[in-house]
Amino acid sequence: MEKLSISKGLKIKFHGMPESSLIKISPQKTIGLSAQDIPYIRPKLLVKEKQHVKTGSPLFCDKRDKTIQYVSPATGTIQKIVFGPRRKLLEVVIQFDLQDDYVLFEAISRSHLETMPKGKLISQLKEGGLWQCFRQFPAKDTADADHNPPMIIVSLNGNDLFSPYPEVILDQQMEHFEYGLDILKKFSNRIIVAVNEKHYDKLGQIQKWISHTVPDMYPSWDPGVILYHIKESSEDNLSWCISLDHLIMMAKFISSGQYPVDKIMTLTKPNSINSHILTRQGVSINALLQTVHSEQSMTTGHFNGRIVTPNTHVGFFENTINIIPAQDKEKLFGFILPGLQTPSVSNTFLSRLKDTVFQMDATLHGEKRACINCSYCENICPNDLLPHFVMKAVVNENIEEALQLGLLDCCQCGLCSYTCPSKIELTTIFSNAIDSYYKDKV
Amino acid sequence: MHPLKKIFDQLEPHFTGTGKYKAIEPLFDATKTLFFFPSPKTTVRPFIRDFLDLKRYMSFVILALLPVLIFGIYNTGFQSGLAQGERLGLISSFLMGAWYVLPIIIVSYGVGFFWEILFAVIRKHKISEGFLVTGLLFPLTLPATIPLWQVAIGISFGVVIGKEVFGGTGRNILNPALTARAFLFFSYPVSMSGNVWVAVQNNIDGITGATALSINGASQGTSIISALTEKGFDLFSLFWGLIPGSIGETSAICCLLGAIFLMITGIANYRIIIGGILGLFVTSILFYIISDSYYTWAHAGPFYHLCAGGFLFGISFMATDPVSAPGTNPGRWIYGFCIGFFTIILRVVNPAFVEGVMLAILFMNVFAPLLDHMVIQYKLSKRIPNV
Repeated sequence: MEKLSISKGLKIKFHGMPESSLIKISPQKTIGLSAQDIPYIRPKLLVKEKQHVKTGSPLFCDKRDKTIQYVSPATGTIQKIVFGPRRKLLEVVIQFDLQDDYVLFEAISRSHLETMPKGKLISQLKEGGLWQCFRQFPAKDTADADHNPPMIIVSLNGNDLFSPYPEVILDQQMEHFEYGLDILKKFSNRIIVAVNEKHYDKLGQIQKWISHTVPDMYPSWDPGVILYHIKESSEDNLSWCISLDHLIMMAKFISSGQYPVDKIMTLTKPNSINSHILTRQGVSINALLQTVHSEQSMTTGHFNGRIVTPNTHVGFFENTINIIPAQDKEKLFGFILPGLQTPSVSNTFLSRLKDTVFQMDATLHGEKRACINCSYCENICPNDLLPHFVMKAVVNENIEEALQLGLLDCCQCGLCSYTCPSKIELTTIFSNAIDSYYKDKV
Repeated sequence: MHPLKKIFDQLEPHFTGTGKYKAIEPLFDATKTLFFFPSPKTTVRPFIRDFLDLKRYMSFVILALLPVLIFGIYNTGFQSGLAQGERLGLISSFLMGAWYVLPIIIVSYGVGFFWEILFAVIRKHKISEGFLVTGLLFPLTLPATIPLWQVAIGISFGVVIGKEVFGGTGRNILNPALTARAFLFFSYPVSMSGNVWVAVQNNIDGITGATALSINGASQGTSIISALTEKGFDLFSLFWGLIPGSIGETSAICCLLGAIFLMITGIANYRIIIGGILGLFVTSILFYIISDSYYTWAHAGPFYHLCAGGFLFGISFMATDPVSAPGTNPGRWIYGFCIGFFTIILRVVNPAFVEGVMLAILFMNVFAPLLDHMVIQYKLSKRIPNV
């Protein structure tokens, strides 16, 4: 096991971190399959409203590769298909029956997996709706099945600070985990399993599979950060990654032949004890919580994700729902207060003098200004980018220069936007630039 | 609701939308946000944000300048008293100093903000806090006797030509406050030159008092140190700063206090300040060793060079302006070091200028993008390409 030394990241401690306990919440009447959190997808609907679907039947596929299907996480009748502006598919909502009726695939035992042809495994994953678990760098698009990745990175911690803990997801899942690693070995010779060092001790038997530990500091467990710190050549830039919960799902699916519907997620609210939640894929947010105040933001991650509303459903790639206070309040002389309770990576608040756990809020704390070259973004970027220079290249539409400066190494952790005193939306600028470059290229 | 907030809310319709004073909306906005710090909800990821913003950032520079400002006001009054042959007390020195210094600051802020507001209105953006610093830095680099119309012209040049023609804050190549000073320095050398005029109340023209840097020991045939000591510029007074000179530059200790505050809070990059002091030390020691001109500043040694003139003021407050300094850390070390180096070169070798720090900083401002370019090229050569 190797200890990765990553020096830059966010060292602030937050209130409301989830506890390791697990409670069960059953979903209410509807289950949804969201298309909003699937990067780059151009969905093509395969079903109509009022149609009855089984658990595992395809609801839509990707126009770019129609063999990659996205399947229903429940059995029931399609209640409605929600479109956004310009008829963009947002989600398919299913009113579900009490009993699951599965679309059955071939169940493959661990010993048979080894002899199973790779092509068959790929088509089963694509048909079963789980090929999307494999994401390919640099843009983290759905992996290209014809490509042999130089390595596959499994990060046991999720992409946000508040994502479920690995020890909770892995509880009694040792076999599935090992089975999952066997699946990965069919695709690449080099499997990286990385975990936040804080969680390493709690993993028990799993420890022997860990190849790297990373410091307990967001976002050092992000696959993009791990890749940047271990890559040796530019071929490694086309590696794949998969998250832990998806690896377990994949293993359950191939070994049982049924679409796995369980999902472990976290729900964090201010001033409350936040347990992990065992629920179902595509659960409606209504089922998880009753009310959100107007002075709160509900997101699927503090740094990543999107703003969600209670009537929508949790996406395939989302496993944390965060309620963050967001009081749009103007503070008298706010810019010069000593700030004992105001977290900052800079040394301009007294809160830096003592080790405090902070309650964050979802407001901007200032107004947008021009970049003044202060290098706060550079000091926090885990992948050693010079975000201010990259941003200037992107804004000047000099994409070549931006790429040379390492734009594609950006893991979109959001820390540059987090720290910018001029409140420039660096992460949005980078992610748009990567998207448009990637779409042009493909 | 706060009563002040009520007033702003009542005034707001006049300045926004179809209001009567829509044209000066940026001014209203700047005043309002000075009192009531805005914090709108985030709409894009990351949803949480750091509490530091540019208003606080710039206010910290003002805080760091306070010791320099207060001492500068006191010293101006004190020197003016000395020139009249009396030793003024603390309060009267302070009042006398304020009489000279405050008008300069008011003119600098007033005229500068006029240009800032004008450009903000035309370009339809908010007023940047950067000028709060520029508007205070500039007066502190001037002698107290400067005519106010020159202050107005100087700050106009600094803001318009030094900053706004490049696109405003964040896009300027040169430090606007130093650009303003350089403009006055070359346009009106009489009011700006090394022989600073000590402000005297009853005498419009003032009387001349040499600054430390214009002294040499050649006429008396004594060493530079004894010549300095004889004129009252021993290391002790240079350090504390009760000597004639520009308003803000005389006291080394006040500049150091500001510099330490800025370095601890991380507002100024310590690499520039430490690099600059290192550059100054190395170069002045080299001159001390190799030079045989016993009477001149070449032989003054590092501590005299550090405390005399405007070096500490310049390196702490001017060179650390993040916009005109390099944006990479190795670049900042080189930049700082070169400022120290060129300051000594100008002071010692160039007979045209007794003080070199202003020109050294402006010169390195021009080279900052080149330093960045070199550092980035080097860094990229170490990176595994991803294109």
